[in-house]
Amino acid sequence: MSTKRFIVIGAGGVGTWLTAGLVRLLEWKFPGSGLIIVDGDNYEERNKERQDFAKIGNKAVVKAHELTPHFPNTTIIPVPKWVVSDNFAGVTTEDDAPKIKATDLINEGDIVFAVVDNFAARKIIFDAASRLDNVDVFTGGNDDALFGSIYHYQKRDGVEITEHPSVFHPEYENAPDKNPGELSCQERSEIEGGTQLLATNMAVAAFILGRVQKTIVQDQSPEETEIYFDLGIGKSEPYNRMVSHVSQPVNV
Amino acid sequence: MENNMSGASAQKATGMANLRFGVYNQPTNVAGKSVKDARDQFSKIWGIPTDAVAYKGKDKLDENYVIQPGDNVEFHRRAGEKG
Repeated sequence: MSTKRFIVIGAGGVGTWLTAGLVRLLEWKFPGSGLIIVDGDNYEERNKERQDFAKIGNKAVVKAHELTPHFPNTTIIPVPKWVVSDNFAGVTTEDDAPKIKATDLINEGDIVFAVVDNFAARKIIFDAASRLDNVDVFTGGNDDALFGSIYHYQKRDGVEITEHPSVFHPEYENAPDKNPGELSCQERSEIEGGTQLLATNMAVAAFILGRVQKTIVQDQSPEETEIYFDLGIGKSEPYNRMVSHVSQPVNV
Repeated sequence: MENNMSGASAQKATGMANLRFGVYNQPTNVAGKSVKDARDQFSKIWGIPTDAVAYKGKDKLDENYVIQPGDNVEFHRRAGEKG
């Protein structure tokens, strides 16, 4: 099998569990691959309730150092930066808030995992990916209870195989939140983390891993493009967002 | 007698349409009703917000669109945000 470059953006409630799965997948299914972990934020003691990490410090750096000794066939690279858009013109001189443009981070053939905690940053990542010819972007999130969803955007040879998520989700175009990477330190410190649940974070990671297994490892169709789940009532529901499917008349 | 009709054909014949919202997906007898009426009927059961936009495929539906037999109507469910 060919080598891959996985980029995990966000090493928090979903990212820590997802990274644990992805690195194992790379190590044994795609040896010689790269795993890039991107996050400008730091682990704090209070994060331990939902997030898996061994020490306090920058999330990308801590997680990369933690995994590297155990997975010798995978090159793990930390990027301790916030992801911003091309037209970001805000604070750039803070020592503790380095930035990287999404378009500088994501390259042709990359498989990206946008597991940040806001729609504004997700949109920046999807928009950067949509300019490429061959790319996969998986995203996922949850609310403060037991509901969550994931989405898989895919392009091949310049053609969108699945729709950009903003087609079905106006919250991407009119984000109710802000990208923390484009806020000042003070503004970032005032963002409420909410009261998320460990089970839902882990479920988001597990659903994304399932899609990676099917569409990347087994190279099958991404027809279960979006999946909603509710752990409280034990239900999940897949939606086909493939361009070839949603462009067809649905009243047949 | 064996019934060879597909799900969509059967829905057309019986005046049924399919409604979806998040994890919910159900054939129901809303054909002939407006999008607004269908939302009102299912809002309490499924928790559909009053401003949830309805889609048919990737097309947004007007509030007064009359749901046709065999239609597959999806009410927008906000994606999971946090992580």
